[in-house]
Amino acid sequence: MIVREFEGRNEKEAIDRAIEELGLDRNEIDFEIVEAKKPGILFRGGKVKIRVHLLEEHEEGEQYEEEAGLEEGPPEQRSARRSLPAASNGEFEAKVIEFARGLLDRMGFPAEITVNFREEGRLGLDIQSDGSGILIGKQGKTLEALQFIVNLAAGRMGGETTRIVLDTQDYRSRRERSLLRMANQVADQVRRSRESQLLEPLNPFERRLIHTSLARYGDIETVSEGDGLYKRIRVICRSDRDMRRE
Amino acid sequence: MEKDLVEYIAKTLVDDPAGVVVTVIEGEKSTILELKVSDGDIGKVIGKHGRIAKAVRTLLSAASTKAGKRVVLEILD
Repeated sequence: MIVREFEGRNEKEAIDRAIEELGLDRNEIDFEIVEAKKPGILFRGGKVKIRVHLLEEHEEGEQYEEEAGLEEGPPEQRSARRSLPAASNGEFEAKVIEFARGLLDRMGFPAEITVNFREEGRLGLDIQSDGSGILIGKQGKTLEALQFIVNLAAGRMGGETTRIVLDTQDYRSRRERSLLRMANQVADQVRRSRESQLLEPLNPFERRLIHTSLARYGDIETVSEGDGLYKRIRVICRSDRDMRRE
Repeated sequence: MEKDLVEYIAKTLVDDPAGVVVTVIEGEKSTILELKVSDGDIGKVIGKHGRIAKAVRTLLSAASTKAGKRVVLEILD
């Protein structure tokens, strides 16, 4: 999966930029809002930063296109679609990979680790191991723990500003897709029944994914309930009266 | 194996790797790992709200699924 970030004064502008640069249709775009500053009274002009996830189908399509020799558009435009390797810091990268491999070795799961993506402030690593299922764990909890420890170690290797994102067998994008599908189904049910529903406990990243995805529906509201890292989201259908009041 | 795992993680996270000591206490159904680090390093293996300790325990339980024996991590202070 390729991840790119775009900014604009508002959400629409950020999306427009993404569409223009990536050469995608509006409905093809899968994004989350990573930062949103509302326009203030004193400081006019807000800022919205979105993170666009390009799913694999797209990458594969692109490869196919190239292999088939169907090159369209000027080369600059085509290369802009790809994830851009941020200045790669080879030494740091090698150290992080070595640490992660050592960690997995000692857990009893010897693994190959390759770079998934490089971008400003983020390094994606892919784990290839026989124990993928165990390494993901229930609801991805083992993968989260691995990622947490690897990030702590990376911080001590001089990479305080680089976030390491671990993945195996494409778990993260699969999980994202299934969460979004589930959230949309629940939103539909809530809309029909007018009764709110509580989702399973999710980590902050997963919750944000759902909050931002359902935010586009004016009649649906989402709130987090509970304490700790894993909270639950309640999906609520706003009554017509609530909406009129605004 | 689990001992190595705890040592490996602890030594990477602390300021004084020489102060890391892991003692193994083998029980019938479970293994207890006692982790000791230098005084100033205790926070580096426990973390805010015990987050680091919790992550290490999660990794330990994943590592011990193969062996089928429960592993308990105790951090001594």
